[in-house]
Amino acid sequence: MPPQPARLAQRLSVALLMIPAAASAGDRLDLQGLIDVRAVYADGTTSFLDGGSGRLRFDPDHQGIRIGRVMLAARYRLDDTWTFNAVGGSYGDHDKHAVDLTEAWFEARPFPSGAVRYKVRIGAFQLPASLENRSVGWTTPYSLSSSAINTWLGEEIRIIGTEFEAKWLGASRGYYGEVAFTAGIYGWNDPAGVLIASRGWASGDRQSTLFGTLGRPPQAFYREMDGRPGYYAGLSWRHHERFELRALRYDNRADPAATNSDDIAWRTQFTSLGARWEPDDRWTLIVQSLHGRTYVGPDGNPDYQFAQRFRSWFVLGSAQFGAERLTLRRDHFSTRQYAGFYGPPADDQGNALAFAYLHDFDRHWQAVGEWQQVHSRFPPRIYFGVPESINETQIQLSVRYRFNLQR
Amino acid sequence: MHKAAPRHALIGLLWSAFFACGHVSPALAAGVQINLIAADGRPVADAVATATPIGAVPKRPRERKSTAMDQLNKAFVPQVLVVESGTSVDFPNNDSVSHQVYSFSPARKFQLSLYKGELHAPVQFDTPGLVVLGCNIHDSMVGYIYVADTPYFGKTDRAGILRLDQVPRGRYRIQVWSPSIADEPGSMSKDLEVEESGESAVSFRLRKPLRSVPQPRPHPEGWDAY
Ligand SMILES: [Cu+2]
Repeated sequence: MPPQPARLAQRLSVALLMIPAAASAGDRLDLQGLIDVRAVYADGTTSFLDGGSGRLRFDPDHQGIRIGRVMLAARYRLDDTWTFNAVGGSYGDHDKHAVDLTEAWFEARPFPSGAVRYKVRIGAFQLPASLENRSVGWTTPYSLSSSAINTWLGEEIRIIGTEFEAKWLGASRGYYGEVAFTAGIYGWNDPAGVLIASRGWASGDRQSTLFGTLGRPPQAFYREMDGRPGYYAGLSWRHHERFELRALRYDNRADPAATNSDDIAWRTQFTSLGARWEPDDRWTLIVQSLHGRTYVGPDGNPDYQFAQRFRSWFVLGSAQFGAERLTLRRDHFSTRQYAGFYGPPADDQGNALAFAYLHDFDRHWQAVGEWQQVHSRFPPRIYFGVPESINETQIQLSVRYRFNLQR
Repeated sequence: MHKAAPRHALIGLLWSAFFACGHVSPALAAGVQINLIAADGRPVADAVATATPIGAVPKRPRERKSTAMDQLNKAFVPQVLVVESGTSVDFPNNDSVSHQVYSFSPARKFQLSLYKGELHAPVQFDTPGLVVLGCNIHDSMVGYIYVADTPYFGKTDRAGILRLDQVPRGRYRIQVWSPSIADEPGSMSKDLEVEESGESAVSFRLRKPLRSVPQPRPHPEGWDAY
């Protein structure tokens, strides 16, 4: 039985409110919550989340009334420089823990004393690569599902480590924008790559949780096996509030020969490039591309190595008309295996189309309708008794309640 | 422009009224008109214009003054505030989100830790110059406090004109400034001899086209979380 969203939210907020709040120095605790319940229609094959080879979150055995997400995001101010941030909640499925965290980190943001502002994050947080998932809890304000790229980043990639950012503040020179350099060092992301290699690309909004698993058989992503830290480095540029560019390189530097009792390490490297353009207050255009590779098996022994390249891009157009928002997104994705053939090649080829309509009743209530279609061709589907090339459609009607509390 | 909180608008109004009445004998004072025209010939509105006495001109006695720089919809309101040196400025946050206002400009460095409402004491601006305001949480929030070394100042109207009344006789440096002016700051200054009575006028014609200054956008809460 799926857990009751209201009960979960209540339990989470009670837990967070227990943090002692000092009343004297303004609000210390900032809570943002989301309760998302959906009516779902899905005609695809069994979702990968339930052991199948489908690329959508729901399937004919998991449709009807579903919990989209129950989320609580907290920011607790420790002093003028440090905050503690956490995002937790439930997806209402059979994850290991009914309620789990997706992110939890400490952040230092000292006042700038010159044109450069430094920021440090320590803990577990999402990779700062998306221009689509710009809302709290790594949700997207444009639709229910995310693009294939950002779905994957939310599934397999989480930074558990530390991030440093130096941002040049254009206001210091009369320029309305910033240029930032970001770099991170992290561990516990050695299995990253296993999902894209074995399943291919997907499109949805199911992030992995920090202590849980994803899919069937359950896959965990946050494990350290080789004691080798990974890194990422990125550049971003914002011009006015109209244009933003992000480039990022990720390498988990995993030893592809490392294993533990449950998992194996995948060496995964990729480059992401994205831009968001908002020519006026109505229109948004986002493009992002990501390409990289992942491999497993000892180096220097290509016969025992499985290796694959992956690539995806998407274009998203969105328009805001008062309380209404319309979004159209087109994804293209592929993976190509180039070593370690023991069966049909794990080559994924496909594209996806999503159309979303969002309506804000007020600052709390929102209704979202989303239609998605994913076409994918993936030869290993024969193991599931499913044709290698399939079309899947999913329609979701969501009612969302959002709230913001300060203490 | 923006909807300012009525209380602060009122303070501003009273303050302007105070200047309009003046404390200097009208017989020894004249009117000064400052005119600002863009390179394309159009008037430039909402620019700061000041008349600073040079040498031994009797200034109006300095009063203890206070005004406010509001924060509404993740923007400073007004975007540009002109004050005479010695003025205290309040920074009330009337947003639903907290701000963390700072300046690292040489004319006045200060930091207001994360707050909503009116948590912090007013900040006093004693040194003439430009103070650029930022918010440590919302990088797109940019505001300006122009600290003038004179009680004779204002902003140009929609016709690009500022009229200063009751300016005592003497020599003045007339300066204009706006974040949208791209011309060299040095070229935005002219000296003027103000006679005992009558009207004098100064015109500035910009050489470079105006820079676009982005207007704040209404982003929903919780956007751009990282
Ligand atoms: Cu702010």
